[in-house]
Amino acid sequence: MALLSAMLARAPRALPLAALLVAGRGLAAQAVRASEYDVKAVFLFNFAQFVEWPAEAFPEADTPLVIGVLGDDPFGRVLDQTVGDERLGGRRFQIRRYHSVDEIKTCHILFVSRPEGDRPQSILAGLKNRPILTVSDADGFAERGGMIRFVTDRSRIRLQLNLAATEAAHLTISSKLLRVAEIITRPGP
Amino acid sequence: MADPRTVAPATSILLTLGLICFAEPGFAQQPDSSASAEALKKLSIEQLMNLEVTSVSRRPERLAQAASAIQVITQQDIRRSGASSLPEALRLVTNLQVAQINSRDWAISARGFNSTTANKLLVLIDGRTVYTPLYSGVFWDVQDVPLGDVDRIEVISGPGATLWGANAVNGVINVITKRARETQGLVVSGGGGTELRGFGTTRYGGALGSHVNYRIYGKGWAREPSVLPGGQDATDDWHMEQAGFRLDWDASTINQVTMQGDLYNGRISQATAGDIAVSGGNVVAKWSHTVSANSAVTAQLYYDRTNRNIPGTFGEDLDIYDVDLQHATRLGARHDVVWGLGYRLINDRVANSALLAFLPPHVTRQWFTGFVQDEIALIPDRLHVALGTKVEHNDYTGYEIQPSGRVSWRLSPSGTLWAAVARALRTPSRIDRELFFPGQPPYLIAGGPGFHSEEELAYELGYRHQRGALALSVATFYSRYHGLRSVEQVNPPTPSPAVIANGQYGESYGAEVTADYLITKGWRVRAGHTELRIHIWPNPGSTDTTRGASESQTPDRQFFLFSSLDLPAHLRLDAGMRAIDDITRQQVPGYAELNAKLTWQPTPQLDLSLVGQNLLHDRHAEFGAPATRREIERGVYGLVEWRF
Repeated sequence: MALLSAMLARAPRALPLAALLVAGRGLAAQAVRASEYDVKAVFLFNFAQFVEWPAEAFPEADTPLVIGVLGDDPFGRVLDQTVGDERLGGRRFQIRRYHSVDEIKTCHILFVSRPEGDRPQSILAGLKNRPILTVSDADGFAERGGMIRFVTDRSRIRLQLNLAATEAAHLTISSKLLRVAEIITRPGP
Repeated sequence: MADPRTVAPATSILLTLGLICFAEPGFAQQPDSSASAEALKKLSIEQLMNLEVTSVSRRPERLAQAASAIQVITQQDIRRSGASSLPEALRLVTNLQVAQINSRDWAISARGFNSTTANKLLVLIDGRTVYTPLYSGVFWDVQDVPLGDVDRIEVISGPGATLWGANAVNGVINVITKRARETQGLVVSGGGGTELRGFGTTRYGGALGSHVNYRIYGKGWAREPSVLPGGQDATDDWHMEQAGFRLDWDASTINQVTMQGDLYNGRISQATAGDIAVSGGNVVAKWSHTVSANSAVTAQLYYDRTNRNIPGTFGEDLDIYDVDLQHATRLGARHDVVWGLGYRLINDRVANSALLAFLPPHVTRQWFTGFVQDEIALIPDRLHVALGTKVEHNDYTGYEIQPSGRVSWRLSPSGTLWAAVARALRTPSRIDRELFFPGQPPYLIAGGPGFHSEEELAYELGYRHQRGALALSVATFYSRYHGLRSVEQVNPPTPSPAVIANGQYGESYGAEVTADYLITKGWRVRAGHTELRIHIWPNPGSTDTTRGASESQTPDRQFFLFSSLDLPAHLRLDAGMRAIDDITRQQVPGYAELNAKLTWQPTPQLDLSLVGQNLLHDRHAEFGAPATRREIERGVYGLVEWRF
């Protein structure tokens, strides 16, 4: 058990228990960690507020805002929990899951999971510039015509945005999102 | 290594005190409390981008396609249940048969064949096999982990022999603890009550530079005795102390090393002899190496020592050395191949008594194993077939082969149909070959010189559905068993001597149904129902007429209902109900019981909980023949947990 002794020896200096208890109270503002897909689910939910869809995307006044997942669903129930009973401008949210592009009817935000997102061309061709915000964490997704890619970099999530692709689909992206995203300038599909 | 009997208690106390004193709050991060969806939604997009995220693989998605009856309970399930030990946590798994025998012994099995020495289940803690080669079963009183550090417990009912190895005849329990990175900071918890008299756990997790994370813990508890059917104290109160560590080193992006270990020591009262003394320890080293995007190698090495002295019955000192190597690789577009090699050496020294003897008392045995499985994507992401086999060599029966074939067919994004056929073996352990009773001649039972492996052929068909708030699973099975253990007269009709042999055969069939539903964001319910029938018959010529009475004591059905409710004012209320049919062969009546936990979290750092266990009756029996039966009393305990 030499290892245990070594670890104890390297532990920080001793503090009386009482001091520790008191000090512990003041540590509320410490780093919070979150699960990757919990955070990505909240991003997807938030994108609804930062994107303006053309009128034809919502044929009825009560057409729900549909967030779709294409392929293996990495979110489990998190996406359903995140969306919950939320409304945006009176519209309910709806989560749909697809395993091929042909199944996609009404959809506003589409998360393309791996491995589908690794070969996005056929999916994007199938969507034919319909007003659907395409999102994935697959490598090179935004360069290859996808709209938003989640990049996990040193345990933090960054966004890449392909403006040409969103414009081709007649989606208007709010400046709040543009400010924080890395803009990819390669043309859309 | 010094004698763990003396080292363990001292280390445990030192660690418990040391952890409290050494920890510095500046290092602490909020452990275990990952931010909720509600909290995350309040953050701005910039704040979201500044959050540190942990990439926990979300098993349920992978599970959704697994071609076996697998259930997973998570850290949250365990935490919210109020379970205070590993066996209590296993009560959350609805496809397991879990019965408390007395204050410290548990009968735990899957697909039946439960007994005080249930022997058809493989149990792993972070890759370390914890069933004993003495009887192929688990001494549950010494299998413990700090439950707050458990990431999840995966339970497969049905054979898992191809990938998992010998003894995975009727199921696999795989306890997986969190990486040290996920358990940073100081956590102190403790409490006490009526049955669980007192307990405390201290864990500290820190970092050594940017690539090494570690945690160390110390814990201890004392439990009240169970009672005799008349209500008198059964004098089996006990206490344990345990300490351990885990260290994860991200040596590079393609190499990861984990070291972990535990030491424990405990004493258990006996009514008619001196205290039972148990102690032991283990140390595990793991290395995983990513060869390429489609290929990874893992190697694991461990040493495990257990000491058990039961005055009047027997004593045992057991050393286990184990090394495993596994390689997973993708071949072409359609083949995912995983293969591995393993070697295991045991050195077992038994001190015999007048009551029973293991002869020879001291044995050294070794096992060689190899396995290969190819998962073939016949239609990628839709139709997958996995074919594999395990080949094992043991000192008792030589080479043994355990093949399996599994098919999973994704009918839709949410539904998967699966089917499996497998051959699994329960290879001999010391008790089958080397047990003599009484401890000296003339023997009533004189070992089992001809005992060979028990064989199972299992057929399974299941369906799993997961969509939005609902997860549903149905598994059905039919198994045939040959060579089940029996006790045969050597010179019939003279009853003794008798030997242990393979004179019985049998069948089992049944269904396991589970459902998990998120009614609202703050209210989740989960239910499970298992139907199980087992029939055992003597082979022609066998003199064993017990029809397996000592091999399987299992209720025909069991039902579970769990509810997790988030209340206003930082309160959470959890309840778990179980209804277990009678165990006919032991005349144990059927029973229903209720556990409940109320938690108040006034600040993110502090949890105050009140837990009630077996609330419906003053006392009830779960297992055991009338003459030796113990009953379990209602228990209530309070729990305080601080996270710094």
